[in-house]
Parts: sequence; C-alpha cells; structure tokens
Amino acid sequence: MHVSTDILTWLAVVLTLGIFSFLWKDNPFYKFCEHLFVGVAAGYTICVTWHNSVYPDLITPLFGQGQLLFSIPLLLGLCYFARFIPRVSWLIRFPMAFVLGWASGVAIPAALQADVLRQVQGTFLTPSIFARWDVFLWALISFVGVVSSILYFFFSREHKGALKLASETGIIFLMVGFGASFGYTVMARMSLLIGRFQFLLRDWLGVIR
Amino acid sequence: MKRNIPLVVCLVMGVSMMVQFFVPHPVSVAYYELTTRWFRIVAAFALVLGTGSLIMYHSDKIQRKRQGWFYSVVTILAFVATAVIGLGWGIKRGTILQDVIFSNILVPLNASMFAILAFYMASAAYRAFRARTKEASLLLIAAFVVMLGMVPLGANLPFRLPALVLLTVGVAVGIYLAVRNQNWRGVLVLGLLWVLLGLAVRFLFAPRFGAVAEQVLSYPNMAAKRAIVLGVALGAVATSLKVILGIERGWLGGGKS
Amino acid sequence: MKFFQTLLRIDRRIIYLVVAGLVMLPLVRPLGLGVTSGPRAQVLFDVIDSLPSGKTVLISVDFDPASMPELYPMMAAVMRHAFARDLKVLICGLWVTGPGLADRALSEIPPEYGKEYGEDVVYLGWKAGVDAVILGMGENIKSVFPVDYQGHPLESLPMMNEVAKLRDIPIAVIFSAGDPGYRDWIRYGQTRYGLRVSAGITAVSAADAYPYLQTGQLTGLLAGMKGGAEYEILVQKSGYSNAYMPAVAAMDSQSLAHVVIMLLVIVGNVAYFATRKRGA
Repeated sequence: MHVSTDILTWLAVVLTLGIFSFLWKDNPFYKFCEHLFVGVAAGYTICVTWHNSVYPDLITPLFGQGQLLFSIPLLLGLCYFARFIPRVSWLIRFPMAFVLGWASGVAIPAALQADVLRQVQGTFLTPSIFARWDVFLWALISFVGVVSSILYFFFSREHKGALKLASETGIIFLMVGFGASFGYTVMARMSLLIGRFQFLLRDWLGVIR
Repeated sequence: MKRNIPLVVCLVMGVSMMVQFFVPHPVSVAYYELTTRWFRIVAAFALVLGTGSLIMYHSDKIQRKRQGWFYSVVTILAFVATAVIGLGWGIKRGTILQDVIFSNILVPLNASMFAILAFYMASAAYRAFRARTKEASLLLIAAFVVMLGMVPLGANLPFRLPALVLLTVGVAVGIYLAVRNQNWRGVLVLGLLWVLLGLAVRFLFAPRFGAVAEQVLSYPNMAAKRAIVLGVALGAVATSLKVILGIERGWLGGGKS
Repeated sequence: MKFFQTLLRIDRRIIYLVVAGLVMLPLVRPLGLGVTSGPRAQVLFDVIDSLPSGKTVLISVDFDPASMPELYPMMAAVMRHAFARDLKVLICGLWVTGPGLADRALSEIPPEYGKEYGEDVVYLGWKAGVDAVILGMGENIKSVFPVDYQGHPLESLPMMNEVAKLRDIPIAVIFSAGDPGYRDWIRYGQTRYGLRVSAGITAVSAADAYPYLQTGQLTGLLAGMKGGAEYEILVQKSGYSNAYMPAVAAMDSQSLAHVVIMLLVIVGNVAYFATRKRGA
C-alpha cells in the first residue's frame, strides 16, 4: 500500500467520500459537496462557453474584425436576458422564435431520413434473408416485432380482435427490449462505481497498480 | 405584434431551413451557412441564461434566508470563484481551472454523484423488482440473459441445457396449475409453447450465453427499440411542424402581450 | 416465514456494504476471468485498421466526468490504435464538460507515440449549438472552429490542410453519454454529408443503438465498460499498445457485480413470494 501524498488527490478523495456519505444518511458534508458541484459546474460552463464559443465566434468577428452583421445574433442573444426584466420580458420570444424555427426546420428532413425512412428500409424483408433458414427466421421475428410493437402504441382504436393479438405480441417484444435495457443499465451503474473504486484504490491508497 | 412577429420569424426560419435542405444553389448554401453561424452564437447565450437562472434562484434563497440558504452561499461562491479563475486565467491544460478545479473538484464530484446510483440500483433490485406478472417475468429473464452474457463470467456459460431445463420446469408447473383449474385451452397453449420454445432454444439460439445475449439484443430488442425510434421520430416531426406553423404556441409564454 | 420476513426487512446499508465489498475485492485480488473481444468492437477495429496511413479519424468527446469510467478507456484505446497506425486524430465535442477530458487525453496519449500537436492531432474544442456545429463542419470545419482549443488559427496547423469538411473524414467515432451524441451525428452528419459514424456509448443507451447498427448507420459499436475492455484487448493483442488497461482490469468486478444483482433479485423474489403465499 502506498498512500498518495498529493494534496490534490486528497482533495478529490475527500469530495468523493463526501458524496458517498449520503449512502449512510443525508448530512451537511454531503449537502456542501452537492452545492459545491452545482456552483463549480455552472462556473465551468461559463468559462468554456466564453473561451470556446462567444469570444471566437462573436467578439472577434464583431469587434476585432468589424463584421457588423454579427450585431444581429448579439442582439438576439441579449434578448434572452430580457427574461429578468418583467416589463420587457416579451423580447425573449425573438431569439426563441429564431432558435425553434431553425432547429425545427433542420430537424424535419434529418429525422425523416435517418429515423423513419432508413429504419423502415431496415425492417423490410428482402430476398437476401432467404440465404439461410436462421437468417430468414430472425428477419421474420424482427419484422413481426417492429409491426406489433408499433401497433401496441396505436390507441386510436380499442385493442380488440386482431389488434389485440398484435398488441399483446408487441408487449412481449417491448418487455424483452426493456429487460435488455435494464441489464445494460446494471452494467452502466456498476461501471461508474468500479471507476470510483479504481481511483480510491489506485490513485489514493496505491493498493492496485 | 409582440406575439405575431415571433410567430412569423419562426415560420420563416422553419420553412426556409426545410426548403434549403433540398436546394444546392449557392445563395441557398450561403443563407444556410449564415443562419447556422448565428444559431451557434444565440445557442451560447441560451446556456448563459440557464446559468443566470440558477444564480438568481440561489441569490433569492439567500436574500429571503430560506431553509438551507447557507448552502446557496457555497454555490454562489463556487460559481464566482470558478468563473473568475477561468475567465481570467484560461481553461487550457496547466491552468488552475483545468488542473485543480476540473480534475480534482468537478471530476470527483460528478463521477461520485453517479457512482452512488449503483447502490440504489442494488437496493431497488432487492426490494422492488418483483416478477408479479408474466410481462415482468419476461423482462427479468431478458435482463438476466443480457447481464450474464455481457460479462466474462457468464459469456461462455452453456445456454441450451439450463434454458431447456428451466423451460420444462416452468411449463410443467403451468400445466399442473391449468389442469387443477380444468383450463384445457391453457394446457394446449402451454404444450405448444414448450414445443416451439424448445425448438428455438435447441436450433435457433446460440449454445453460449454471450452469443445468445447478442441475439436477444440484435433481434427482439432491436425490433422493440425500432418501434420506439419510429414513434419518437414521427412525434418529433409532428411537433416541429406544429411549432413552425404556429399551432403549438406554448413557447410564447402567457399574457396578452 | 420469519426468516423470509427478516430478509425482506434487511437494512439497505447492509446491501450497500455487500455490494461495495464484492465490487472492491476483484480489484485488489483479480479473478483472472479474461476478456475476449466481441463482433461489434471487431468491426470498428477492422475499419480503423484498414485505413491508409495519413487519413484522419474524427473523435467527438460527447460525455462528462460522470461517464468517464466507461467512455474514457475506450476513447484512449481508439486514439492509441489510430496513432499506432499513423492515422491523424481530429477531436471535437458537443458537451460543455468534455473539453477537460479531451485535454487530459491529449496530454497522455500522443506523447506515447511521438505524435506532434498540429501535425498528427488537433483538438478543436467545444461549440454551442449541436446540430449547427455538425452541419457547419459538413460545409467547412474552419468556419465553425476558426481557432483550435489552444487558440491557434486552424490555417497554421499543417494537419488541417488535409481536412476541410466532414466528407474528408473516412470515419467519425462518437463517444457519447446520451444526448447530444451519436444520433445527432447520424441525423445531421451522415444523412447530409455521408459521414461514416461509429460510436462508443454508455451501457445505459447501448440497447437503443441496435436499430442503427442493423441498418448500417452505425459501423461497429463499443458498449459500456465491456466495449472498452474489448477494444483495449484488440489493441494490445495487435501489438499497438502496452499501456495499462483500466477497462480490462475492471471486468472481474463487473462480472461479480452482475452476479450480486442477479442474486439480490432472486432472493428478493423468493422472500416476497414465500411471505405472500403464507400470508394469503
């Protein structure tokens, strides 16, 4: 065992154990760490936004290079802060209109192409699936799964008869999907814990190398 | 005017960006590049706004001396200190922000916050995860297959024999209960299920857990997730159209003006 | 019956201690279970391995420190692989907390292979706007990032003479912990500019990626810490790196952790049904 003598490592360890102390019960040390995290994260966001986005994309072209066209996005951006002044808070609608309109317009063809057309294309049963019997069976199962799962979410008609059968088949596939997601979620959460333990045991205590 | 002009701006931006996707003319491309550049700048202000709202909330809490106001002081001080250090001395490697604040404060706090979720998940798995219904049991089985198949300990375990044994035991119990309740249709269904699933386990599924987990993920899980992707995408397209056309106006906020 | 009722009422802190102990034990005393690579990691490995020397791989750091244990090891392994194959690496990011992590990788990995900043690797930094960033890079990377993370103009970096837009990049590997992430790169980078996208993602969202894998929109996939371990093993076995492999080292703990969770679920259900039956 070789305990670290680096003060910054000890700082990280104290903060880690402070968060972990919540497992015993809520306590002032945990609350302090939690609020510290919120403040530091917000401050870090401001710094990165300024250095990476605002300064090179707005300040330099507008004030450094004299490109006056950039005064328009500057004004739009400043309108966001009208939110804090009740008398002119309606000004926030302008940047929101620009952002929402732009993002919605750009998203429609992209989502249709990537998430609808390509996905429908992938569901189709094509001649290539007849190459092997197991490929054919799995393709058929996938096709039935997609169709029945979509029909499960069709609530415009009462689930009776054929729709009920399809919907119940869809539930089976959805439960398998959610079970797979849960299995993977277990892996994810445990990985994060293992990562912290690796830090404590390797970087702090020197128990593992 | 205070509502109509923003709606017109939204409509114009939305329609122009949709049309622009299909028009490769240099004017269209120049317009696209210009608006894309403006969007990045305005989006940065939105981030700052979010931070500003956070600071306003904590400042208000301190002013009104609400419960736990001392911790809000911690938040504000941490925010101011980080912002001053980062804005004044930079964010690159070798600066206090990167080497001290990010690496030894933000990283351990952020990572630990999510690491403790593992304990809550273990507790929830023990206390709340109950196979009360057929659907919940199916979910559990799929979860177990993926959990075992995705780690070295379980990936090479044989799948077929244990699966057949479990299937036979499960169906036998089901048939016993069905016979006791004189549910002959149930007996028939269970028998058919045993034959079909047995054949699938023997011939369709792979021999080892690792490969079976891959099959479960690649086919039934993929099918379910695709249905969700399709539904979400169509919903997003519909909502985007509603926003552009001014049918969805919640973002305008309340009030006559 | 009393035994099962006691089991159901067990203090949650005992469960926490059991989990903590069983997760820590294999870290200190490895079980030696070994790790083998899976088909999805192999696909990505083969693609990067087959790229001609001098080509540029785009890496997007779309995660925060919370997802570091899962995503940082796989990002490091991919970077090591690229450098060992004499490929150039271009790094950018869509998450505001990503820059610090990318900066850390830059300080650790290129020096192992004698790679020079500006010639073999460039870090563009982070920009607000997600889809606007991807779409802008599709037309002209320099219009989105006039300077890199260090503040150098992109024109002054020799590597950027070969890469002007997304079409110049044979593959982008997106390390994402959620949204924004690989889906945005597929929607905006791939549909409009034909960008080939691969992903290293947290296990939480791994099951959701399979529809994109099946259609070929994703080329290979590294899912969670296991995916990272698979890629680390591939890179090591190919002789490209002898570095410490944190994801591989964690796999024994991962195995035991999964077994613990499964046992907890089984025991919880047995106790529940035993008490319910007797109570009824």
